[in-house]
Amino acid sequence: MTTVLVLLLLALGTYLVAVIEDWTCRGHFRLSAPLTAGIALLGRESIVPRKPDRIFFEVGPVLLLISAVLAATVIPLTPDLIITDLATGALFINAALVYVLVALLMAGWGPDGAYAMVGGWRFLGQLIAYAMLIVMPITAVAMRAESLLTTQIVVSQSGLWNILYQPVGFVLFFVASMALAFLPPFDLPTAKGELAGGVEAEYSGARLAVFRLGRLTLIITLAAATVVFYLGGWQGPWLPPWAWSAIKILVVTAVMLTAGRYMPRIRETDLLGWCWMFGIPLALFNIFLVGVLVLVFP
Amino acid sequence: MTAQMFFISFFGIAAVWFGIVVFRTFSMVRSALALLFSQTALGAMFLSMQAEFLGVLQIMMMATEMSIMAIFMVMFMMDPGGLGEMDMTHQKRLSLGAGIVSFVAAVAIAVFVDWGPAASSAPDAAQQTVDLGLELLGRSMLIFETAGITILTAMIAATAVAIQPVKRSNEHEH
Repeated sequence: MTTVLVLLLLALGTYLVAVIEDWTCRGHFRLSAPLTAGIALLGRESIVPRKPDRIFFEVGPVLLLISAVLAATVIPLTPDLIITDLATGALFINAALVYVLVALLMAGWGPDGAYAMVGGWRFLGQLIAYAMLIVMPITAVAMRAESLLTTQIVVSQSGLWNILYQPVGFVLFFVASMALAFLPPFDLPTAKGELAGGVEAEYSGARLAVFRLGRLTLIITLAAATVVFYLGGWQGPWLPPWAWSAIKILVVTAVMLTAGRYMPRIRETDLLGWCWMFGIPLALFNIFLVGVLVLVFP
Repeated sequence: MTAQMFFISFFGIAAVWFGIVVFRTFSMVRSALALLFSQTALGAMFLSMQAEFLGVLQIMMMATEMSIMAIFMVMFMMDPGGLGEMDMTHQKRLSLGAGIVSFVAAVAIAVFVDWGPAASSAPDAAQQTVDLGLELLGRSMLIFETAGITILTAMIAATAVAIQPVKRSNEHEH
């Protein structure tokens, strides 16, 4: 029962993400925009390019969706509204989201097209940049909670949210999750105007619809993970827990989608250089600082 | 047959099957990703055996590693897409022999070693993580730290060897 409810909420959230994305792109708030866009995509022909790697071509978009949904299974919306409260939850989110890379590699290699392939391999480079900045801040969060249980992580923030307790970790995690969801300015694998859509370029019709659905689900999953790790999850005064979760997740999503619209697309070399020269030392400093704080203020 | 046995067998067969696919395909990327899914199936076997932390770790680590291996195979092989039907196997007789010997050895060890009585119940997943952490930072610390430093040294050395020396224009000579 919980599983069905969470999946329905995830679907609803994904729809709202699509509305917000449309809003940030076009400047009009239209509640029906994703519905009409979806119907239009499903109505179009889904073209298979010449000499594709058929298995990869078909599996890529589906795997993207699966990994985003799997990551969402360990995210608590209220103390009880969680599909499975794994003892390794915080690690499992990361394990599921690594398969976003595999999905994009497949989608890039599968269609036998130059732009798609460049986009796919670009994302591999992007992973080298962001991966440590996802894992290391999560380590610091788990250190404070003394647990990898996501519910325990939320409970550990009852006194002070992690965004104030470890702001460095929050900034790193937030930026890295934007890179993971390849949102602007980190949209290197799709790169409209430079790679003509990159990994999306050869997809059309129903397959493109699945790909975009997977990407939207990925965005809301990452926003929910940010809320659980740094913004106190379901906690808050007056309103019921589910309402706080919903509000926080939607606000984080809106910030994620809006922030990048005002920046030029980052260069791959710059991304790698900055992440390794500044990001990783900062993440290590954050782990050290949280370690000291945990010892001083237990 | 319990559900646990079913899943262990299922993922075990999947792991072996994807291992075979590694050599049956001509495409380097397919081969690398087949190896990835073989390793993922191993991770799922850990999960079926209630070793949650190890399973999740295996599933997480292998995705990155095998994807990086895929790009190296594409860079170094002359026919990465497999359109020229380049064979993935070589030194067939030697590798066949080695495969059979190691299979027999593995089965012999599994059958003939006295493993002691099986644990009646596994500790819960959170306790396993705690135990593993104490093991890694206690008795086995020296082994793991040595291995870690060795791998790091090898990576730095490999990178240093791979970088082309930069020719600096010597302006002071003129």
